[in-house]
Amino acid sequence: MHLKNRLDVGEFAVLVEMEPPKGIDISSMVFVAEKLRSKVAAVVVPDMTAAVMRMSPLGAAMILQSKGLETVMQVCCRDRNRLALQGDLLSAYAGGISNIMIVDGQDLAFGDHHQAKAVDDIDGEQLARAIKGLCQGRDMAGTELLGAPAFFFGAEFNPGLEGDELEQELERLDRYKDAGAGFFITTPVFDPAVLENLADRLDVRQLNLIPTVMMLKSVGMARYIQRNMPHFHLSDQLIRRLQKASDKTREAVQIAREALAVLREAGFKGAMLAPMGWERKLPEVLV
Amino acid sequence: MIIADRKPLEEIQEMVKSCGKILLVGCKGCVTVCNVGGLKEVQVLASILRIARKKEGRPLEVEEKVLERQCDPEYVEQLRDTYDQYDAVLSMACGVGPQFLSEAYPDQRFFPAVNTKFMGGAVQHGIWEERCAGCGTCIIHFYDGMCPIARCSKSLLHGPCGGSADGKCEVSSDIECIWDKIVRKKMEQDRLEDLRVLRAAKDWRTARDGGPRRSIREELVK
Repeated sequence: MHLKNRLDVGEFAVLVEMEPPKGIDISSMVFVAEKLRSKVAAVVVPDMTAAVMRMSPLGAAMILQSKGLETVMQVCCRDRNRLALQGDLLSAYAGGISNIMIVDGQDLAFGDHHQAKAVDDIDGEQLARAIKGLCQGRDMAGTELLGAPAFFFGAEFNPGLEGDELEQELERLDRYKDAGAGFFITTPVFDPAVLENLADRLDVRQLNLIPTVMMLKSVGMARYIQRNMPHFHLSDQLIRRLQKASDKTREAVQIAREALAVLREAGFKGAMLAPMGWERKLPEVLV
Repeated sequence: MIIADRKPLEEIQEMVKSCGKILLVGCKGCVTVCNVGGLKEVQVLASILRIARKKEGRPLEVEEKVLERQCDPEYVEQLRDTYDQYDAVLSMACGVGPQFLSEAYPDQRFFPAVNTKFMGGAVQHGIWEERCAGCGTCIIHFYDGMCPIARCSKSLLHGPCGGSADGKCEVSSDIECIWDKIVRKKMEQDRLEDLRVLRAAKDWRTARDGGPRRSIREELVK
C-alpha cells in the first residue's frame, strides 16, 4: 500500500531513514533494506545529511525502489539550482519515486566539503510550489511538461521549539500546507509530551505528523544532544536509563522500540526511525 | 567602488505610497561617484516624487539630506535628532546604507531607492562595468590582472568555454569574453604556458559561502 493511502486509512506507517553509502558499495544498504521490506511503509533517503558528500538520494532511492521498497526521497536546495532540482524530481518520478520530503539541509560548514559553494537558488517553500506546479504539468518557467508527476510531498517540522520560534515554525508549517504538503516528519522527539502540548494548536493526529524516533547509540551521544539540542527535550531520566543498562546497545534498541509503541498507541499516523548509522540494528527494533 | 542603479520610479512610489512626509537621504560615497545617489540625484528624485504626488492630489513632503557616508555609524549618527520626524526614510545609498540606518534607528522604516549591482568602475563617461565579485581570495595575478570569477559568465578558471566567439560572450554580444582577453595577453607576452597550470577547486569559504563576512583589524579594535 502506498504511503499516502496508508496515512489516509490510518494504518500506522513505520518509516526508516537510511543513508546512502559514501561510495558505490550498496550491499549493506540493500542487505538491510531487504530485511525491512515487509516491516516498513517506506525508507526515507536523506539528501547528503550534514552536508557530507555521499551517493545522491535519487540514485539510492531508485536502487531501493528496484528492490521492492517504497521510498521517500529527501530534497534540499543547498546543492542544486532550480533546473537540477526539477530535473531530478522528474527523473525520480519516472524511476518510481513518488514521495518527496523537502528539507532545509545543513550549511556546508557542517560537512566534509567546506570549500564548496552553496547554490540556494530557491528555498524549500519555493520548491514546494515548484513541486505543486510540476504536478499540475508545468515547470517553474511555466512550460508544459510531457507527462506530469503526481508527487506526495512533505516537509520537516520541529515541534520542540518554544515561544516565538515555535510560532514561526507553525506559520511555516501552514505555508507548506498551503503549498500542498501532505505530511510532516518531525525532528527527533524524545518526549511525546512535546507533541501533546501542541494539541491545542495542531490536530497532530489528522495532520499526517510523523514523529522521528532517534536511536541513542551511547550515553555520550545522549548527553551531547541534551546539552546542544534543547529542542529535542531529552530527559535526564532517559540518560540514566541508558547509563544503568549493562548492555547499552540492547537498551538503545529497547528504548526505540518502546518509543515507537508509545507513538502508535497515542494515535499518530506513523513514526520515522532514525538509526544514526545503526541501520543494521533496525530489524531488531522492528521485530 | 560599488555601482548601483536607481530603482524604477513606480517601485519607489509604491514604497512610500502611505507616507505624507519622508526624508530622502543620499550618500557622498560610491553612489555619488556613479551618479545615482548623491546630492544631485537626491534633488531630482525628491522633485519627481513631489510632483507625482501633487498630481494625485495627495502632496508628499520630501526633505533632502546627503550624508558623508551611510556605511559609517559616525555619519549615520547625524540623523539622530530628526529621523523620527518622518513617516519613512528613503535611502539612495547602496544596500549597506539603509541597513546601517535601520540598525541605528530601529523604530523608523527605511526603504532602498537604488538597486546595488556590483563592484566595478567607469569604462567611459556614463558606463560602469563589473570587475570584482568580492570572493575574498584574489587570483587576478594568475590571469594578468583580469578576474575570471567576476568577468567570465561561468567563472571559468582554465580557459574560454565553447560559447566564446569573436571576443564576445555567448550570454550577450554586449559582454566581452574575458578569456579572449586573457589568452591574447598571455600570447602577446609569450606566457601562454601559464594557462597549463591546473588550479585547485576554489575555496569559496572566503566568499559568501562561508556565511556573512566580517573583517577585523586587530590594531584598530579598541
